[in-house]
Amino acid sequence: MAALPREIVATAIRTGASARAEVGSAPRFKVGDAVIARNMNPTGHTRLPRYIRGRRGVIQRNHGGFAFADTRAHGLGDQPQYVYSVRFEGRELWGPDAAVRDAVYIDLWESYIEPVPSR
Amino acid sequence: MNGIHDLGGMQGLGPLIREPDEPVFHEEWERRTFACLILTLAGGQYTVDELRHSIERMDPARYLSTPYYEHWLHSAEDLLDKKGVVTREELARRAAEIAARGRD
Repeated sequence: MAALPREIVATAIRTGASARAEVGSAPRFKVGDAVIARNMNPTGHTRLPRYIRGRRGVIQRNHGGFAFADTRAHGLGDQPQYVYSVRFEGRELWGPDAAVRDAVYIDLWESYIEPVPSR
Repeated sequence: MNGIHDLGGMQGLGPLIREPDEPVFHEEWERRTFACLILTLAGGQYTVDELRHSIERMDPARYLSTPYYEHWLHSAEDLLDKKGVVTREELARRAAEIAARGRD
């Protein structure tokens, strides 16, 4: 087992180990883009919550590149992707009974979302 | 995976319990579990995402009825066993030793 240098312990616990990583390609989405969360049901690890699958949202922010949890959870490496903050309206998620001002912001890796198809 | 951990949108789980002066650890074993987890992560035994997935694979009823640090303990044992760092027999033997000795 690798040794943990004493001097990094306090910082590591305070900040957590960052998963930030460079992505080699340009971002697929920009702020304001309408997107749809993919409907997928992998048996492995994913950070894509069930209640947004197939729902529409709007990109609010690009957080930059981060190691992909879905591959890191299975020994498949970092495979970094851009992570976006996406806003989903309450009524899109919960239907007409939801309060009109309710919304959920969820950080999503790029492969979790697709462009809303143009009509 | 579509597991019990993905609680978003579920109803009937009762109110959130807020503690006015919530301690970082409620029990000594939680403090030790935290330390063990950090050491195994820093030592490169597994990634935090493997840990998360191990927690997701807990028995659903047990997941809902156990505190947060028990999820960590469960998964540390699970992963250290799977990766051959410690065996279930070693864990059971050590747990029996500690139980025989009584609380610290």
